[in-house]
Amino acid sequence: MTSLLIGLGVSHRGDDGVGIEVVRRVAALQPQGVDVLEVDDPASLLDTWSGMDHVVVVDAMSSRREPGTVLTLDVTDSSLPSEGWAAGGTHALGLATAVELSRALGRLPRRLMVVGIEVESTAPGTQLSAAVSAAVEPSVVAAMRALEDGGA
Amino acid sequence: MTHKLTSGDHVLKADPLARVEGEGAMRVVVKDGKVTDVELNIFEPPRFFEAFLRGRAWTEPPDITARICGICPVAYQMSACLAIEDACGVQVPDEIRLLRRLLYCGEWIESHALHIYLLHAPDFLGYDGCLDMAADHRDLVERGLALKKAGNALMTLVGGRSVHPINVRVGGFYRLPTRAELLSLRPQLERARDDALATVTWVAGFDFPDFEQTQEYVALRSPHGYAIEGGSVVSSTGRSFDVASFSDVVVEEHVARSNALHARLDGRTSYVVGPLARYSLNQDQLSDLAREAAHSAGLGPQCRNPFRSIVVRAVELVYAFDEALRIIDGWEGASAPAVPVPPSAGVGHGATEAPRGLLYHRYELADDGTILDAVIVPPTSQNLASMEEDLHLFVADRLHLGHDELTLRCEQAVRNYDPCISCATHFLDLTVERS
Repeated sequence: MTSLLIGLGVSHRGDDGVGIEVVRRVAALQPQGVDVLEVDDPASLLDTWSGMDHVVVVDAMSSRREPGTVLTLDVTDSSLPSEGWAAGGTHALGLATAVELSRALGRLPRRLMVVGIEVESTAPGTQLSAAVSAAVEPSVVAAMRALEDGGA
Repeated sequence: MTHKLTSGDHVLKADPLARVEGEGAMRVVVKDGKVTDVELNIFEPPRFFEAFLRGRAWTEPPDITARICGICPVAYQMSACLAIEDACGVQVPDEIRLLRRLLYCGEWIESHALHIYLLHAPDFLGYDGCLDMAADHRDLVERGLALKKAGNALMTLVGGRSVHPINVRVGGFYRLPTRAELLSLRPQLERARDDALATVTWVAGFDFPDFEQTQEYVALRSPHGYAIEGGSVVSSTGRSFDVASFSDVVVEEHVARSNALHARLDGRTSYVVGPLARYSLNQDQLSDLAREAAHSAGLGPQCRNPFRSIVVRAVELVYAFDEALRIIDGWEGASAPAVPVPPSAGVGHGATEAPRGLLYHRYELADDGTILDAVIVPPTSQNLASMEEDLHLFVADRLHLGHDELTLRCEQAVRNYDPCISCATHFLDLTVERS
């Protein structure tokens, strides 16, 4: 069974690019049966993951936790916490909205997990903060575990 | 919710302002019952890109600037290509221009469908957002997503993928779609065109506040039909100039309170770009079907009510499908996917009509093609001054409304512009201060 790993974020907005960095590291490990995708428009996820068996999304979160905190959440049957994930914007949807809209429309994958990494700064720039850089390796491990969990 | 400040002023803060993203804030100050100030503080990613384009190769801007926005990457790619080709003295053959127009139709469809159905319509129907709307109107949300999907299909075929197309290069494309591939999209596009017509009828029935913009409207006008992938600049007061003169006419001023630059014509006159300007200046170039849809929706030769921009977007949706089908039907292939664009020292200008308005690029190249300077003027920064003026007038007439209602109305007024505030992680906070 092929799983899909999605890195969500914008690489030129500091820590917001951590999801992209993590999935690139995972892709470099060439895990068996895993497709890797980089996405910066959560609205596109409604089509991307519809009908998939197992999807893991790696995304930055802003929830007033310690920067660099890594959380793994199974959102197959429950919502993303409203604190942490933006609902959306004037011309884009946020991940939380994409998940719930997919749920409302019957487009969720069979299993959907989210690995969230608490950001420190999303100021313009391509560098991750020290705290978030230190969280990249643990996030790679968390993403690999989430991929294995769904495949089991 | 209302907070009392230590200064004694009352502040109404709506956080987060749903469906507005970006690292910005809107602040309205009301003193003695009069609006004294309206400020939009906005961060603009293009400014950051201008700096790091310097020193890069002339072939790179289409791929680099596409990253500015996940919703309108094609606009950035197309304006970049035109500007680089202009600097190098190259004009692409008509087949390449047509294929660019087809790709751009895909982006208009994706962007307009998303904005109409998931971001703007909930305002008019009294929902907090698309999730609440989906609970009551699943069929409508599904129709919006089907429209967006048709745009994705076009983008994927012509651009290589639906977000950040990879098939675009300076001089044209890497690979041409085959006629068979293009024709395979026809059934989906025809169905979606019917959905777009139904969309016009649906949104035309919404209630629109009375509001008229007085600002000058600016859009491209093209000999190849309703302006999308190029043209020269025209305005509602009769201005007409080449894109090469854009930076002579449009003066950007730095506003101290914001990262954003405010663009004004001749440094004085605020103006509006986007669907309303395009429609008001170019509706005579719409296809028959789109013009009939506009007429049935009650649009006249001009539309100056920003709340009706949702209707104009729907009409443009019909047009984009019509154009896509027309281009596909007439497609006879091209001799090569791209023409060579050898580097040359000079300055080049390019402008196209992004879904939310005119997008201008200017590059200065060294003789080996190294970029010496880059200027990107996105639609939202051109609209900023007018947005503030609109909000000033709009709030002044609605001070009798309660805080929550006024806040909602202001949010809606901002959304009329579909502002590309920032493709990032934060919300716009709206604050109304009364004293």
